[in-house]
Amino acid sequence: MHSLHSSKRSGATDEPAWVRWLLTVAALVFLAFFLLLPLAAVFTEALRKGWDLYWEALKEPEALSAIKLTLIITAIAVPLNLVFGVAASWAIAKFDFKGKSLLITLIDLPFSVSPVVAGLIYVLVFGAQGWLGPWLAEHDIKIIFAVPGMVLATVFVTFPFVARELIPLMEAQGTDEEQAALVLGASGWQTFWKVTLPNIKWGLLYGVILSNARAMGEFGAVSVVSGHIRGLTNTVPLHVEILYNEYNFVAAFACASILALLALVTLAVKTWVEWRSERQMAAEQAVVHDH
Amino acid sequence: MSIEIQSVAKRFGNFVALDNVDLKVETGELLALLGPSGCGKTTLLRIIAGLETPDAGQIRFHGEDATGTHVRERQVGFVFQHYALFRHMTVFENVAFGLRVRPRQTRPPEAEIRRRVHELLELVQLDWLADRYPAQLSGGQRQRIALARALAVEPKVLLLDEPFGALDTKVRKELRRWLKRLHNEVHVTSVFVTHDQEEALEVADRVVVMNKGKIEQVGTPEQVYDTPATPFVYQFLGDVNLFHSRVHGGFAEVGEHAGAEGVVAYVRPHDIELLREPAALTLPATLDHIRAIGPVVRLELRLDNGDPVEAELSREAYADKRYLAGERLHIRPRTAQNFVEDYTI
Repeated sequence: MHSLHSSKRSGATDEPAWVRWLLTVAALVFLAFFLLLPLAAVFTEALRKGWDLYWEALKEPEALSAIKLTLIITAIAVPLNLVFGVAASWAIAKFDFKGKSLLITLIDLPFSVSPVVAGLIYVLVFGAQGWLGPWLAEHDIKIIFAVPGMVLATVFVTFPFVARELIPLMEAQGTDEEQAALVLGASGWQTFWKVTLPNIKWGLLYGVILSNARAMGEFGAVSVVSGHIRGLTNTVPLHVEILYNEYNFVAAFACASILALLALVTLAVKTWVEWRSERQMAAEQAVVHDH
Repeated sequence: MSIEIQSVAKRFGNFVALDNVDLKVETGELLALLGPSGCGKTTLLRIIAGLETPDAGQIRFHGEDATGTHVRERQVGFVFQHYALFRHMTVFENVAFGLRVRPRQTRPPEAEIRRRVHELLELVQLDWLADRYPAQLSGGQRQRIALARALAVEPKVLLLDEPFGALDTKVRKELRRWLKRLHNEVHVTSVFVTHDQEEALEVADRVVVMNKGKIEQVGTPEQVYDTPATPFVYQFLGDVNLFHSRVHGGFAEVGEHAGAEGVVAYVRPHDIELLREPAALTLPATLDHIRAIGPVVRLELRLDNGDPVEAELSREAYADKRYLAGERLHIRPRTAQNFVEDYTI
């Protein structure tokens, strides 16, 4: 963009060339140092001893079970957050009620609370010494140091992503279209499916992608409630830590590379979603006639 | 279908939006709710639609109480100021929406829906835009589509909230005339809200002038313009000169309340007569400015005490008299409407 306009650049609104260069270089150096370099390091370390060992590390039963568990937790947590997130933002953006700001604060809570504390909360509530511990033990229900606890912790940590993405979008869109649908005879359910949902679909997808990425990568909260039982309650991030602490660097980085790859895929999908939604908006506004 | 509004009241917190409003909308008429912003006109419209619940009072459709009826069962058509078209649907789907969401038993077959939608698009003369998205249309086109969509469900009542408020002047005028023609064709009981007095006077069969949650006057455009019931109506429906009997002596002796203490005479600029010589009941004034644009020439005068007076005359009359800026003239009201002072706003 800039090179196109450089010949016509007006001196009135632009900084001198050296300032622009300095800022650009600083930004690029920062980006390379803190993002690209670690990413490259993950893959080089993982492949240091060749592809064979890399595959070995991933094919190991414990690694496979960690991957499986991560996928299971994500498959439960993300749909739950999708429903919670849509319901919460629908209520917040389209209706006025008492305690609305309290609800918004509650939704933001996972962002402001340390994930470790979040994990601890569940231990205190459901753990053996916790409030519901004795009752759960009596009925032989295991939550802490088992999959349900890890799902709960993940749901808690990833809760704000969908709602945070949707609330500003829905507030900006207002309630006119929903009111129009109601006047035209649509039921609340029809209004949601036919009017509200299509208007938020890209934002929703974006929120789901972010919450998916976080669900797969979550360490702190899950670590507290997991108990680190190998092959049983280890997710990929937890497995990486264990391997690393055992000086098994190739395996640790091999597993880490899965998470890194996931991050790259997420970025690609996110970019695609943004590109699609922009293109759709552009297409809908392509021809504007003035009559 | 007639609409009766019986002592309807509504407040938002401490703000009184509607204060015991009574009104009857006759079958088939086109009624305008006119007033400044915050006068409660939109609230009243939304209460009729069922989008807002009144704190007290009743809405009756054709004599039947509809106060508790849900919006979706009221069978009203509602046109929003900002169109509220479904942005992700084509024009065709927008208009078809009201038919498609019907329960299976009453939903018309697909062919019938297509026929009805195209019929309505032809009615609003936009059949050629059926495949476009709302964002691809101009404001005037969007509002006509919104109207077609509202009419698709064959509403018993059509409600329009500042339908032309977001459009530029030229399109506004076109659409006004078009709405009037459309109403003559379809003849559905219609209520529209506007803050533009010209719009209300030009389009409506009857005008309801509202202020501060109350109805000031109901009448035909001629009635409200020529014989305003209150000073508010007088001032809201056009330019007006005020003459206080206290200050301007016998000037308020033209109309009723003559001789009463503290009378204010309301005189429209075109009812100010200009004389070169003093006569009975005239006031001397100096001509400050002349604006001769369009068919009407506007003269700005100043009384000796500094009060401004505005007068209007036709281009012909002006060409005849050829007043000059700075000239000394004598003004006299042809007709005036008097109100007792403390009643003014």
